[in-house]
Amino acid sequence: MQIKATDAKCIGVVYKKTLGLYDVHDSEMTIPCSLSSKLWKDFNPENGKGNSQDIAEKHMDPVAVGDRVRFTKSGDSSGVIWGVLPRKNYLARASAKPMPGAHAFEQVIAANLDQVVPVFAAANPEPKWHLLDRYLVTAESYDIPSVIVITKMDLVKGTRVEADLMKAVQRYRQIGYPVILTSAIEHEGVDALHKALTGRISVLVGKSGVGKSTLLNALEPGLGVRVQAVNRSTGKGRHTTTHLEMFPMKVGGALIDTPGVREFGLWGLAPDDIAYFFPEMRPYLGNCRFGLSCRHDEEPGCAIRQAVVDGEISPYRYQSYMRLKADL
Amino acid sequence: MRTYNNNINADFICKHCGNYVSALTAVSGVVNRNHCPYCLHSRHVDLFKAGDRLCACKGLMAPVGLTLKQSRDKYAAESQGELMLIHHCTECGVLSINRIAADDDPARLMEVFESCLKEKTRLQDLCKCEGIRLLNTDDLYLVETRLYGIAV
Repeated sequence: MQIKATDAKCIGVVYKKTLGLYDVHDSEMTIPCSLSSKLWKDFNPENGKGNSQDIAEKHMDPVAVGDRVRFTKSGDSSGVIWGVLPRKNYLARASAKPMPGAHAFEQVIAANLDQVVPVFAAANPEPKWHLLDRYLVTAESYDIPSVIVITKMDLVKGTRVEADLMKAVQRYRQIGYPVILTSAIEHEGVDALHKALTGRISVLVGKSGVGKSTLLNALEPGLGVRVQAVNRSTGKGRHTTTHLEMFPMKVGGALIDTPGVREFGLWGLAPDDIAYFFPEMRPYLGNCRFGLSCRHDEEPGCAIRQAVVDGEISPYRYQSYMRLKADL
Repeated sequence: MRTYNNNINADFICKHCGNYVSALTAVSGVVNRNHCPYCLHSRHVDLFKAGDRLCACKGLMAPVGLTLKQSRDKYAAESQGELMLIHHCTECGVLSINRIAADDDPARLMEVFESCLKEKTRLQDLCKCEGIRLLNTDDLYLVETRLYGIAV
């Protein structure tokens, strides 16, 4: 899909988002824009007393990267966003709670997407499969396809970790998710990934330090996105990328780089609906003794539990399902 | 809302007898509490290794017999192995062997041993398939000394 503003004078696509400031790209140039107070008030009436300057302190942001927006150019080559066009889709998470007992809110990561690309490192930091399941369930709930990418394959080549990793990879491939194994250093799998991303708008999501920005640099040489090695003491990422930005690909399509996240809360999902977003569980829904009322936990005659025991559903995915349900 | 309890060291209420069971190591003498110390029943929740909580069967596991843990020392006498409890899943029929905890009821353990002597043919076949040596009448002295310190 090509990103083109339909009206060069007043409609553009949000390419970058930092605190209270949005880079909007129209067919000619990129214009730094702020948010109009009216848009902010319309979107969030109970907090409408604020203005676009203190947007960073507010919870709900009406504009996300990838949004097509209406804006007005001012004389000093900046602009003001005053409207957001209807979204094709979007990806959101429940925000991290600032303190215990605080309410989470919906945090839109990106809008108008063609696919979600969860990125995990083969090692350093080690992959957290439950977090991957969170990404996949969220993408399924918004009806956005996913392509799983494993980076840093060079770190595990020929080790026991590789064998364990391949078992997990096989698990996801059997469900139907494409999994691409890459190594930016050895340029392995980059071409396959390039092919999977061409012509589509994709958002890269994953923990800090897994190599999202490194992957971006490998896919589009010359971008010069800032990268850093993980902390040698903790083995964790250093949160090098601190803002959301969309990078157009030369061959068509675009990649949205996101800051690494420690937690990815599900937003707007009911515990009883979660099973539907596990594609391998779908065929069994309604076949339990208690029909659609089954909680798939300890109920007798549960078709999903039986499928796990029979080896049709991975026990790791079932465990993830139970954990996700408990967290909601 | 019921929460998914993945904590292997959490206290629990026995599904079979309804007693409250503490998972404190100081009480049980084992790191992972596996079964109820009162009725010795367990649940089929582990799949590949102890504490992984990956099994979806979740059936009740009944105590069916006693065995000895095979020593890693290949020259050690067989009778030197630790006394272990054999559990049988009432849902899917899987057998598993588990450590006896310090606070397990010795009288109940003796009952399990005696009951397995009565219906040993079926159980022995099951254990043979799994490579588990079921303790029998010849091992009575060993079981009593392990449970009570002396033969009664």
